[in-house]
This record gives sequence, C-alpha cells and structure tokens, in this order.
Amino acid sequence: MIYFDSAATSFQKPASVAAAMWEALASMSSPGRGGYPAAARAADTAFQCRTELADMFGLENPEQVVFTLNATHALNIAIKSLVPPGGKAVVSGYEHNAVTRPLEALKAKISVAAAPLFEPEAVTAAFARLITPDTHAVICSHVSNVFGFIQPVEEIAKLCRSRGVPFIIDASQSAGTLPLNMKALGAAFAAMPGHKGLYGPQGTGVLLCGEEIATRTLLEGGTGSRSIQQQMPDFLPDRLEAGTLNMPGIAGLLAGIRYVHRGGIDKILDHEKHLAKLTIQGLEGLPNLRIYASPALRNQAGVLSLTARGLDVETIGSALAERGIAVRAGIQCAPYAHRTAGTLETGTVRISFSDFNTTEEVARLLRAIRGVLGRSF
Amino acid sequence: MEHYIILARSVTYAQRMQKSLSRAGVRCQIFRPPRDLTDLGCAYAVRVAVSVLPEVLTALHRDGLNPVQIFLYQQGQYQEVEA
Repeated sequence: MIYFDSAATSFQKPASVAAAMWEALASMSSPGRGGYPAAARAADTAFQCRTELADMFGLENPEQVVFTLNATHALNIAIKSLVPPGGKAVVSGYEHNAVTRPLEALKAKISVAAAPLFEPEAVTAAFARLITPDTHAVICSHVSNVFGFIQPVEEIAKLCRSRGVPFIIDASQSAGTLPLNMKALGAAFAAMPGHKGLYGPQGTGVLLCGEEIATRTLLEGGTGSRSIQQQMPDFLPDRLEAGTLNMPGIAGLLAGIRYVHRGGIDKILDHEKHLAKLTIQGLEGLPNLRIYASPALRNQAGVLSLTARGLDVETIGSALAERGIAVRAGIQCAPYAHRTAGTLETGTVRISFSDFNTTEEVARLLRAIRGVLGRSF
Repeated sequence: MEHYIILARSVTYAQRMQKSLSRAGVRCQIFRPPRDLTDLGCAYAVRVAVSVLPEVLTALHRDGLNPVQIFLYQQGQYQEVEA
C-alpha cells in the first residue's frame, strides 16, 4: 500500500517508535503509582516526554503538558474549560468536527470567521470583525485538515490578546511540521494528536495549557496524588489525567518527537510540500480535475484536496484503493471547511503527505489518478 | 542516616524538583514518603543529604518550586522543619 492519508494518521512510523513501545510494555507500569523501578521508569519516560514537548512548543513548565487520548479529547477539555453552556465562540471557517461538535453540544453561539481559501489576511479580518469582549473563546485550526490552508494563528493570537479573549489552537495538522510557540502566542490551549505529524502511535494526544488557565475536568478518578481528597487535584497535569496513562503510547510518542527533532520540522515540511508540488504539476491540465492549491503552495502545508467534475469523490477514492493507494475521500469530518470552500455538496479527495512518502510513490499516485480519470471520461 | 525529605504535590512536581536540583549539582532521589507525613494521601518527595539543604532551597526558590513540607529524618523519626 502507498499511503497518502497522513492527515488522518501517519501510518508509517520510525522504527524507534515501535521499539520504544515494546520496551515500555516490557519494563514500565504506571507513573505516580509507586516507588518501585517499573513505576519510576514510567514516570521518567512520561516526564521526559512532557519536557521535550514543552521545549518544542514554547512552554517552560512540563506540568502544562497534559496527555490525552487524541486531539479531540484535548479540544473537548479546552473548549469545555472556557465556553459555558450557551456561551459564545468564534471559530474559523475551516474547523473540524472535533471543535464544532463540542460547541454544538454546549449549545454555544458559534460565529464563523469565514474567508476564502489561502487568504490569511481575509481570515484575520473576519476574526477582527467577530471577536467581541463577551466572546468566551476563539478557536482556530492552525492548518485545515481538508485543504492544508495555513491559517494566520499569530495574527489571530494578537487579536485575542488585545481583546482579552482566550485563544485555542487546533494544531492537529501542524504539530511536527510548523513551529508553534505557546508563550509567544499567549494562547490558552493548543491541542494536538500524537499520531499524525509527531509520529507517535494512535491513542496519544496532547493538550498544552497556558499559564494560570482554569481547567474543567472531563473525567474524574485516580491520579496518584492527594488520594484522600475526593475532588480532583487543582494542579496540572494531574487535574486532567484521571486514570492510568497510556505508557506504551507515551514512550512511542517520545520516540516520534525525537524523530521529528532529529529531522527538523522545516525539512519535514519542505519534503511534504515538495511532494505536493510534484503532485500538482503532474495533475495540472487534466480535464475536469480541480486541485485546491495556493500559488507556489504559499500558505499551504502538505495536504491537497481535489475534485473531478462528473465523478464522485468516493468512487475516486475506491478506485485508488483498488490500485493500492490510500487517500481520504468525502467530507473528512469537516463540514464547516467544505461549506466555506464551496465543496460541501461534493466533498473532496484528500491527499496528505508524510516524511515517509517518496517521489516514486507520487509518480505511482499520478499514474493511478490519470488511470482512474481516463477510465471514467 | 540523617536526611531531609521535601514533599511535592505530585510525581511530576517531584521530577521538576529533581531536575532543578540536578542543575544545581545536588544529588537527590525521588521516593514515596511514609504515609503519616501527608494527610492528603499518596505523595512523592525528594530526599537530600542534610548538608545540602541551603543549596536545595536556593535552587528550588530560583526555579519557582515550592515544597509542600520539609522533614528532617533523624534517629528514626521525622520532624517537620521550616522551609
């Protein structure tokens, strides 16, 4: 299989990830649950992972790094900590259901800062119009999971700071490929999966918490601290980490982070964008095909969407799967993004790259797409 | 053997203390303190030699780390001391 669905989950992982997970299974129990060596090894690994994540994302204190099940879990904590039932949130036009469904569940008043694809100035202007002093939270994906559009989070953060409104960043598509500095942004929270651009395993996610942000628990239970007290501890990370941590996952995530650190996020992004450019060049001029790309991939990461007039996106996805190529077709859990871009009726075929993809794989993808389109028209 | 134990609010906090002390050149161990030293249940602490307490307090203060309590272990007994 040739895998181009890394925006969902990076499938190919560094060998060190599996090795670290195996080592964790064989040698670690649970942090905070004892003073014996297996618990101490688990605690050391969890602390090291928090510390390296804090370094990577501009946090001084590793206690502000909370392990979650995935980015959705992290976003739920962030949103439900800031937006009360019926509260007011401003979101970008490119949000995932991981943002919008929790807001709907809260019956929040959602204002959408909709702006055309690949126009960051228009995004900033839209947020500027909508953020008011009574806004409970502003939420923005750093990179659209459908179109790879890099949104201007620095500018939006500046707006939020100037208006005293907390800012939540969904870094699901950017963690590991774009720099993000929590301290510089002054963000309240950033949520990210461990299993995409950080190359950790599925079942890992991270919530980065800004300083002195009050948090609401989604789960209550054992933390290995203040065990007589019947309320959750009021300090991080324990407050938000009820129950046993996923130590094999965290050990794998630590190995994944180190892989990204060794490779360099700039180089990884360059590689993914290079493959995206080759894909665009190889498909340009094909009749009935529309590729959603910004000129020279400005403001775009390694995620591409396309549609073919007269051909259902799921049909394309299935035909590519038959040829051994994995892409994601449909709405990609982001109806807001499709509504904003005008693709809600059709959906798109999404091609997303990782550091493990090669130019040879892109060449096979291009041949396969040409074959699918040629057979159909 | 005499030593001080410095109670932390969580294992992560104890690890931050350990890192801070390591930077200051102070050796310490994280461990679970005796149950009767904490009225809130499970806790973690760092153990340091008696001779290094001033350096320990300076390092923790420099890094903004606040012990929950400090105890001196002497002749088989723990006695709380002022930070």
